[in-house]
Amino acid sequence: MRPLTPKRILWTCGWLTALLFVAMVVALRMGAYPISVPDIVKALFNGAIGHWQEIPSEHQMVVFGLRLPRIALEILVGASLSVAGVGFQALLRNPLADPYVLGVSSGAALGAIVSLIAVPHTPGAIQVAAFLGAAVTIAAVYFLGRRGGQLDSATLLLAGIAATLFLSAAIICLMTTLTGRDLRGMAFWLMGDLSSPPPVTNVVGWLGFLFTVFLIASGAIYTTSSDLNLILTGEEEARHLGVNVRRVKLVVYVSASILTGLAVSVSGAVGFVGLLVPHLMRMLFGTDHRILIPASVIGGAIAIVIADTLARTVVAPTEVPVGAMTALAGAPVFIYLMRRRVR
Amino acid sequence: MSGMAGIGPAVAMPAGATEAPKPPRLNAEQASFAYAATDKSAPKFALSSTTFTADQREIVAILGPNASGKSTLMKLLAGLIKPLSGRIEVDGTEVSEMDLKMRAQRIALVQQESELLFPLRVWEYVLQGRYPHGRSLRFESEEDCLLAGNALAQVGAHALRDRWMEQLSGGEKQRVILARALAQQPSLLLLDEPTQHLDIGGKVELLRRLRKLADENRYTVVVVTHELNLAAEFSDRIVLLHNGKCLRVGTAAEVYQRELLEEVFQAPLDVEIRRNGRPRVLLRGVE
Amino acid sequence: MRGDKKFRRIEEWVATASAIVLVVCFIATSAHAAPQNTARTNAAEAKSSAMRTVVDDNDRKVTVPMEVRRVVSLAPNLTEAIYALGLEDKLVGDTDVCDTPPAAKLKPHVGGTMNPNLEAIVALHPDLVVAGAINQWDIERALEHLGIPVYGTDPQTVEGMLASTRKVANILGADAKGAEVVGQLQTRLDVLKAKLADRPLAHVLFVVWMDPLITTGQDTFIADALKWAGAESVVMSSQKWPHLSFEEVVRVQPEYIVLTPDHQESNAAGLADLRSRNGWKDLQAVEEGHVVVISAAINRPSPGMIDAIEQAAHAFHPEAFGSDSTQSEAHAEPQLESTVQLNVNSECAACVH
Repeated sequence: MRPLTPKRILWTCGWLTALLFVAMVVALRMGAYPISVPDIVKALFNGAIGHWQEIPSEHQMVVFGLRLPRIALEILVGASLSVAGVGFQALLRNPLADPYVLGVSSGAALGAIVSLIAVPHTPGAIQVAAFLGAAVTIAAVYFLGRRGGQLDSATLLLAGIAATLFLSAAIICLMTTLTGRDLRGMAFWLMGDLSSPPPVTNVVGWLGFLFTVFLIASGAIYTTSSDLNLILTGEEEARHLGVNVRRVKLVVYVSASILTGLAVSVSGAVGFVGLLVPHLMRMLFGTDHRILIPASVIGGAIAIVIADTLARTVVAPTEVPVGAMTALAGAPVFIYLMRRRVR
Repeated sequence: MSGMAGIGPAVAMPAGATEAPKPPRLNAEQASFAYAATDKSAPKFALSSTTFTADQREIVAILGPNASGKSTLMKLLAGLIKPLSGRIEVDGTEVSEMDLKMRAQRIALVQQESELLFPLRVWEYVLQGRYPHGRSLRFESEEDCLLAGNALAQVGAHALRDRWMEQLSGGEKQRVILARALAQQPSLLLLDEPTQHLDIGGKVELLRRLRKLADENRYTVVVVTHELNLAAEFSDRIVLLHNGKCLRVGTAAEVYQRELLEEVFQAPLDVEIRRNGRPRVLLRGVE
Repeated sequence: MRGDKKFRRIEEWVATASAIVLVVCFIATSAHAAPQNTARTNAAEAKSSAMRTVVDDNDRKVTVPMEVRRVVSLAPNLTEAIYALGLEDKLVGDTDVCDTPPAAKLKPHVGGTMNPNLEAIVALHPDLVVAGAINQWDIERALEHLGIPVYGTDPQTVEGMLASTRKVANILGADAKGAEVVGQLQTRLDVLKAKLADRPLAHVLFVVWMDPLITTGQDTFIADALKWAGAESVVMSSQKWPHLSFEEVVRVQPEYIVLTPDHQESNAAGLADLRSRNGWKDLQAVEEGHVVVISAAINRPSPGMIDAIEQAAHAFHPEAFGSDSTQSEAHAEPQLESTVQLNVNSECAACVH
């Protein structure tokens, strides 16, 4: 009988973070611009101590202007989607649920298209509109997904499917009004793409904001970890043990949806991460959410850093959308996991 | 609470109350419940005005045919629904006034297990019973582990602790579920038809265990059951329900009257008193 | 249970409030345009002494070097223009799809037009990047953010394309050559205009895409090119790329059908293809053999489109060109290799049958 201890969690997170660090280093090294590792290290070091003049401007451009922000976004997207996946899998009582099944990504995509039509060429408009689209969808599905005053997993799932269908149809209708290049941009976005440059000039501030939102939302989910453990043995039983099931479901729903909306508004709908990373982490570390959630955060970050680095470099200089990479890798893994379950 | 081997109720009685009359452990006072009461139509009572009390170390059996209000009464006792009129009190506090955690610390409900979503080990499952005693996000302490281990021992399932829940047999699973309830250190233990899927040996074993637990750990146990004879053998008090009405409360000998039972259960029955004073119900031959 | 009710109201307020706060913060931060790391100076800028400010087609002020030595082109039409101006030595990189002239395929590539690889561009150390209408506007912003000047072109009409080409020539330091090339192209256009002066515009269906059927409205670059070729789209819509139902096509019965296939095809082949399609084969234009295959260059705002316009004009109004019923080889524009086809002779409809 060995209960979970904080020490074990920290230990696991520690070496997962080490893996993430390695992935980040490799990602920093790869790219179309030829720059050696010593030069990268020099640039990072000088940047850290504030000696910006010592860094050749092109190196600065590439390391701090291109690669680092992109890696930061990769981490954000991967972590957000994975935690959202854990949350939705608990909420919907299905280990193969995916953050997009409740329509959040379709809502974000619709918001993006509307902004492309209404206010094209406005910096940041797509991101804001996508987030708003996600938020509206979250609220709508919440109200549709209630039964007896609280979220019910079956009803929620149906509401999400209905929303997805409706929004997808609206998207198709609107897409016929987009002209050639906007359309192709949209297709990339629907697949999940991190190649677009940041939409704002103050990249650091923007990243800081995104990470703050991420921390708040995933922190909120983490506080319900014990509750989720209980709820997954049965909602009635959990209630009898003193879990405020209604409140927990609401917190998880809102937080996981915000995380999904965040990721989608940054990169479009990157698939399979929210589905598979929680599953893999469960296989490695068990189903206790107190360790599953931190493991998924770091595991998801590692996954997207690797996927996007491949997407950037595998057919350089052309860029493949990162969602294509996750789908190519993810689909076979998903099929394998499905068959294991059946057996 | 001394460091005893068994686990009794966590919530101690107020000190210095030895002289003043103590409230009974469980007190149901004219509790009733109706679904969908509107102004226009009179409410349809699922349970009307039921009154009984129970103390520590007592087993109460709630008997009655189907749709007699047994599950309604169970839900009232568990605090899942609020009585339309009357009160249900545990240790002097009204159940519906308790917040979730407090209720879970005092009342444990044992039900059929729902489908587990993920594989779970037995000790993990039982450890979850410690949830009401502490903050929401917490890590289990040594004491928690000790208490969980004791709970498993009390149901005779200590050897199962490292097994996976899904590998257990029906009887083993039920013992584990009971252990989780015991880990809550409740004052009141509620069981809803616990003997349903057990063979006769299993039924007897369960009731014997409940008797032992009630005696050793000073629980109050309330069992909803169909088993007339087992209830008579093991319980201290019987509550007989019929069509939402509480017909009689008392010892088995008091409640098991032939005409009453025949009317309630609509079956030809005979009642005979055994040597230990407890009645036994027999089916009169079918003609 | 009372506890539940307490929670209900509080949590709903908290949820709504935090949602609103988050959205507001998000909008505020996105719109915030604080100047980025000012220590980021472009070494190239520091080295070369002279810069000047020009205004590009999108009305943006761009600071370009007086002497541009290394330019990257992000659009095939601009690559073509650079070759036409004889400036291919300055071209250090182009996109995967820059295929005109064929020599352009040998230049280092920076990716596609939709999402060129920023690092690849930086690796080529360009002084200037030229971008066209088909590039995403945020790429231009990103490059400027990295300190690389971007000159954007976006001609809306054929003559606008000529003016734009002149300006690009000027920026790249080939003013005289630019004037010469553009002048010749303008002359050809004027000749065309004169020849078609008193002819009515032919009504054509310009097929952008077959299935679903997409054609051009009146407000596009193509529409302007068609006008120079003495034709106009049958669709009188200001919508740029309307999806047309086939019934509408039958209703308006265009005089000519213009196809722009990816691979090279003769008019006869295009005609045969339409003759084999249900519905299409019953159109007047198809029965009369009025099917014209034009290279896609007609939609590309580059010098090569003038050839395509002339081809189209010959097809729509053969009688205006006297005995020239085939492509005139007199057009001596040596740098350009045309990919345009033979035009159709309407009397030949009978023989193709």
